[in-house]
Amino acid sequence: MRVNKEYLFSILLLCLAFILGYATLKNSKILPNCHISKFVYYKNEQPYIVKGIVESEPVSKDDKTTFVFRTESIQSDDSNRNCCGNILINLKGKEALNYGDELILRGSLHRPFSKNNSSGRSYRDYLYNQGIRFIMNVKTEADIVKLNINKGFVLTRFSIWLKQKIEHVIFKRTSFLTAAVLDAMVLGEKRNIPWFVNNSMMKSGTLHILVVSGFNVGIISFIIFIILKLIRLPRKLRLVLTIPLLILYCLITGASNPVVRATVMAILFIIAYLMKREPDIYNSLGIAAVFILMANPRQLFDIGFQLSFVSVLSIVCIYPKLKLLLYIESLRPRFVKFMLEGCLVSFSAWLGTMGFIAYYFKIFSPVTVLANIFIVPLAALITLSGISLIIVGSIFPILAPFFAFSTELEVFVLLKINAFLIGLPFAYFYLP
Amino acid sequence: MFNLTNDEQKVIIFLLTIAFIGIGINFLIKLNTPVKILSCYGQDIGKIDLNTADKNLLISVRGIGPKLAQRIIDHREERDGFKDIEELKGIKGITNDRYEKIKDSFIIK
Repeated sequence: MRVNKEYLFSILLLCLAFILGYATLKNSKILPNCHISKFVYYKNEQPYIVKGIVESEPVSKDDKTTFVFRTESIQSDDSNRNCCGNILINLKGKEALNYGDELILRGSLHRPFSKNNSSGRSYRDYLYNQGIRFIMNVKTEADIVKLNINKGFVLTRFSIWLKQKIEHVIFKRTSFLTAAVLDAMVLGEKRNIPWFVNNSMMKSGTLHILVVSGFNVGIISFIIFIILKLIRLPRKLRLVLTIPLLILYCLITGASNPVVRATVMAILFIIAYLMKREPDIYNSLGIAAVFILMANPRQLFDIGFQLSFVSVLSIVCIYPKLKLLLYIESLRPRFVKFMLEGCLVSFSAWLGTMGFIAYYFKIFSPVTVLANIFIVPLAALITLSGISLIIVGSIFPILAPFFAFSTELEVFVLLKINAFLIGLPFAYFYLP
Repeated sequence: MFNLTNDEQKVIIFLLTIAFIGIGINFLIKLNTPVKILSCYGQDIGKIDLNTADKNLLISVRGIGPKLAQRIIDHREERDGFKDIEELKGIKGITNDRYEKIKDSFIIK
């Protein structure tokens, strides 16, 4: 009877969670009366004047500045109305703007392009999933009026400031290529990665190391824990202090889906330890998914969200079964066992994500399993060296070149190994 | 299936109920958000100050090329600045038609 009651509760819980998810998704598609899209008319060539606040860190590249803008009012044809909703701003030239600036902008508004790529997804879908319905093109500096500064969330402002300081150290101390790789691995900023590096990592199935993921959050947690241990703080205090530092790191890296997933899971594990409870990885993963989807249910259709959760789920489900099946536990010597375990983790993640990667990127890479065994430990080493460089470069700049040289060497070796692996026969195939 | 205690089950049901109510309230707010008419911004937003604009800024106006932009700058320097937008008519290359097209893009501060 007890078992039946528990079983019934579980079914009820799943049904309620499903209905709640469906309602949240439907609700997210309903736009409020004051949404900006209700005031923008099709084929209206007149420029619009929009007031609002810079919602993301402005990115300047190729004489163009791009950022997300949270609108507050819109003026067209001599009438000005309050409005809400985010738009993407494309600004000609490089402007000194920051997150949290309150601006009035003048320019044309249009919907994002809806041309589908090979996997049937369009730029419009991508922006819709981010909650962005329109793009505004601002042509000259005369079309920008700065009203106020520092209007954004204090913690986000601080994390963007810190990120800029860290980027300054990285780019000052290392060559452009190494700095670009470090910027991606440590801060999740991919804008400087050359296309050939991106392309070769995609072919070998190791592109995940160039975005901040659960792997990086794990390394950062480890570093934070070690530093706090070095200053001899008690264990419980160390764990408690790790939580805000992980949240700060999550904000610095732009709070992408894999980082939020890993941060929520790490925090749940720490809380479980503090409460002397056994952490359950499936429940932690579920809570992380609910956390992300409650904030933005359309993230369910985001490639990063799908790959991040599927890879963790496949490692958790498939890896222990493979380990039992192949009698890995009894293997000797230990380094063989260690290597085989690495292989199996990589193989499990590959099995889980293979279908998604083939569908979205039209590529099938058998070399992924082998590549991850070499690339992942090297990427961990580069992340550790990079963070050491940032700390030493900020405190003892005179010692920074030594750390910079070793990081340069590690990045060079990583790119060479990757180039060798994708040169192997049957390393990867493009799908029709 | 989830191995939850009685108290945990109650907490989860409570949280789900709150979430359902929250979605309902959010839905109602979306439907009933008032749209207010606000006072318009000044008419000079997006207009280029003839007395401070550099060549690139002048070129950004539709109908002005690099040569004409340079002539406008030369005229400004010769006359120690513009006092009226109509002075543009005195510059070689600005016909009455062109003046009518570009005059709304400028302001003199």
